[in-house]
Amino acid sequence: MKNREQRDLFPGALEMMILRTLKRHPLHGYALAQHIKRTSNDLLQIEEGSLYPALQRLLKEELVKAEWGVSSTNRRVRIYKLTGKGAKHLEHEVSRFETMLDGITRVLARGES
Amino acid sequence: MNWLKRLFSRRRIYGELSEEIREHLEEKVEELVAGGMPRKEAAAAARRAFGNVTLAEEDGREVWRWPRVENMIEDARYGLRVLRKSPGFTAVAVMTLALGIGANTAIFSVVNAVLFRPLPFRDPGRLMVVWHTPPQKSFPGVTKFVVSPANYLDWRDQNHVFEQMSAVGFGNFNLTGMGQPESVEGRAVSADFFSVLGVQPVLGREFLEEEDQPGHGNVVVISHEFWQTHFGGSKDVLGSQIKLDDKSYEVVGVAPAKFDFPFQAKLWVPLAWTEKERAVRGNHGYTVIARLKPEIEMKKAQSEMDTISARLAQQYPADDAGWGAVVLRLNLQMFQQVGPALLVLFGAVGFVLLIACANVANLTLAKALGRRKEIAVRRALGASRGRVISLVLTETILISVIGGALALLLAHFVIEAIADFIGPQLPLAVQIGLDGWVLGFTLTISILTGFIAGLAPSWHLTKTNLNESLKQGLGKTDADSSGGRARSVFVAAEVAVSLVLLIGAGLMIRTLYLLKNANSGMDARNVLTVTLGISSEKYATVAQQNGFFHHVLEQIRALPGVEFASAVDSLPLQGGSTQPVAVEGQPVVPMADQPEVAVRLIAPGYLRVMRIPLKQGRDITEADNANARPVVLVSESFARRFWPNENPIGKHVKLTFLPGEASDVVGVVGDVRLNGLSVSEPVQSVYHVMAQNPGTTFMRLAVRTGVPPSSLTSAVTEAIHRVDADEPVVGVQTMEAVVDESIAQNRLNMILLSAFAGLALLLASIGIYGVQAYAVRQRTREVGIRVAMGAQAAEVFRLIIGQGLRLAIIGIVIGLAASFALTRLMASQLYGLSATDPWTFIGVSIVLLTVALAACFIPARRATRIDPVVALRYE
Repeated sequence: MKNREQRDLFPGALEMMILRTLKRHPLHGYALAQHIKRTSNDLLQIEEGSLYPALQRLLKEELVKAEWGVSSTNRRVRIYKLTGKGAKHLEHEVSRFETMLDGITRVLARGES
Repeated sequence: MNWLKRLFSRRRIYGELSEEIREHLEEKVEELVAGGMPRKEAAAAARRAFGNVTLAEEDGREVWRWPRVENMIEDARYGLRVLRKSPGFTAVAVMTLALGIGANTAIFSVVNAVLFRPLPFRDPGRLMVVWHTPPQKSFPGVTKFVVSPANYLDWRDQNHVFEQMSAVGFGNFNLTGMGQPESVEGRAVSADFFSVLGVQPVLGREFLEEEDQPGHGNVVVISHEFWQTHFGGSKDVLGSQIKLDDKSYEVVGVAPAKFDFPFQAKLWVPLAWTEKERAVRGNHGYTVIARLKPEIEMKKAQSEMDTISARLAQQYPADDAGWGAVVLRLNLQMFQQVGPALLVLFGAVGFVLLIACANVANLTLAKALGRRKEIAVRRALGASRGRVISLVLTETILISVIGGALALLLAHFVIEAIADFIGPQLPLAVQIGLDGWVLGFTLTISILTGFIAGLAPSWHLTKTNLNESLKQGLGKTDADSSGGRARSVFVAAEVAVSLVLLIGAGLMIRTLYLLKNANSGMDARNVLTVTLGISSEKYATVAQQNGFFHHVLEQIRALPGVEFASAVDSLPLQGGSTQPVAVEGQPVVPMADQPEVAVRLIAPGYLRVMRIPLKQGRDITEADNANARPVVLVSESFARRFWPNENPIGKHVKLTFLPGEASDVVGVVGDVRLNGLSVSEPVQSVYHVMAQNPGTTFMRLAVRTGVPPSSLTSAVTEAIHRVDADEPVVGVQTMEAVVDESIAQNRLNMILLSAFAGLALLLASIGIYGVQAYAVRQRTREVGIRVAMGAQAAEVFRLIIGQGLRLAIIGIVIGLAASFALTRLMASQLYGLSATDPWTFIGVSIVLLTVALAACFIPARRATRIDPVVALRYE
């Protein structure tokens, strides 16, 4: 199915965005989805559903942990928090991404001139 | 232990995931409704934004799994359920593969035992056999020849490439003094024989250097089997004396179990050549086994042997001119004997398996097309293509693994039959049976077979358009033409492959028929043969030896039921001595340049017993004795070669190895196939007279009887024992049995190849039938319409038959082309016909076409009975 390939912008991108969002404050799945959509100005066509396998992966790697709680709208929700390991991983991933982006940007710039 | 904990908490994790997703969707709906959207629309919008709910959940779960393994187990479970639900399909598919895999397992077990198991010697890869290569002028086409003592000794002393070089002489010993006299396979070997092979006696020792000296060689190493049968495995065997050819030998060692090298040896004695024997250069009779020095390559050894041979040829031109040497691997010897026939059979069973594969692929495809809706639903629910392929593959692999297990059972019986048949001709160390290698082979080809059989159907299934499949319902319409095409290709391929096998089998059958009816030049019916080797100690002089055979023949000739009896040194069809001869009218040349012809030693009456026609002159008689002028008979081809336009009677022939003057040619006899039924080239031969020969201790008696020959076995044995009760009588055989033995290999090949070809034909006809039956079912509606429009039954019949016939003809054309290319590989197994024998090709094609037609017949008949009303209401 096509959406499988489209979902991730590049492998690990979605996870990185989740970790970055959770770094600011813990969130539950729905709020996380809305936040990522909103901050990306809806530029990234992410299916909300694709968030959950990614969250499961992060849980398995112990980069986030989850607790059941109650939301502001009085709804039983599962709230995700960044772990220490997750914070370190995020730092590493972001710097790797920046290096990559830098590289891509330079090549693109050279191509234009 | 983390993964273990996870395994148990998985159920909780999955539950939480589902709940979470549900909550997510509800929250979204609530939000949208709060924004003013109707609830129904909001639910749809929430799902749209979320994407594939099941898939998200599946993917989320998969994070916690070992997906490959678990999917496999799940698929296997599902597969088993599907197979159980369609027992007919499962039974046919499993049996088909069991037959195909079983045939392969059986042949592989033979190939494995005979060709792939290393010889049970130390570092067998470095063991070589060194043969003479004879001058082509005298031995056209002969590439390997045994070695003379003097040349062996020079090779051994002059080479720098072999660690050790051992000579082995073949022969039989008469064992006496241990119950019934018997003839035992013995080998005379140089002292280093056991150490060259790296084999240690389990009891006692190998030979000492001084025991290889003349007069000191009365020691013997016995085989483990001989030790068991003759000494009951007693430890006291060492130091015992046994009597071989009336000489006493002391047992000094017992060889390890299963060691019977070379070729079914029961005991070994030292060569102990005398000075005179060591100097023999022109008479060849020993096999040379050598171990390469470490780091020396075969090529180097070969060039060294070339150098030595060239030197010897210069030094001893009379004996060695034209004689070279060739270094070959010991472990390839076996391969050269049985390799070609085995590889043909292995190829044949490979083809059978291919057909079985195609059949199962066809069945799976036909069945799977009925499951298109299920597959389409799976795809629609988000199953990836790979997942569906693996689902179908799991099913076919399950079938083939079950088939493989059944195949082992089938193979077990076939292997036993084959082992019974060829086992006695194999060394003891070669055990044909189901061992770990064979089991591994069977498992491997089972999985591979399932994989191959499932590949086409699964690929085809996942390729089909989702929407089409879903819309179409059960797939009973005419729309899956591409599936039909795949099946047609399979059927044509099956026909083609079966044709190749059938032609192979046909060629073998005709070969056997032609061999059985070949004119051997003699009459094998009602002839009994007896092998008689006597002790050279007891019968030391020429007069004693000839006297013994003379008396024996007199005794036998007097028996009731015996027409006549005579003797020869080697029976027809079994090969025998070739010797250089000097022929009157030919230039006088040294021995190395003399023509080599077959030389047979006979007693009077041999022509009469074997019914070999006398073409000219007279037969030999009792009057041609030691005091008369030496005489010979020559074969027609001999006379034609040397005296093409002259009268051969009265010409002279000198047998170079025979002392005395040249012999008179007194008669010309018909050519006999001396070297086997399949050697149709006439053998130029000379027959000389036992009474005029300087003694022999080994003859084959031939007795022509007026009654069934085997009924005289005991009478003949008693007659011999009346002359000397100590001489073993062995190898009592009718001449017809000798003939059968000479074509036993051809017969085994024919039987196996025919069985495999028959199997292929059966599988292919099942394949054709299956496809046609399916096609008829598929075209029910079309046929119904045709009938409704006024088509006659005959037209419908022709329509269906025509479709099957077209496939069969395409297959036959491809098969004929493939056969032209492939049958030449078996040319060496054929006799009397070319590998592209037109009659076989045409005949077999007709047989196959007939079978194909028959396979189409039932489905076609069924098509003619289609009731248009029922057919059109059907969908």
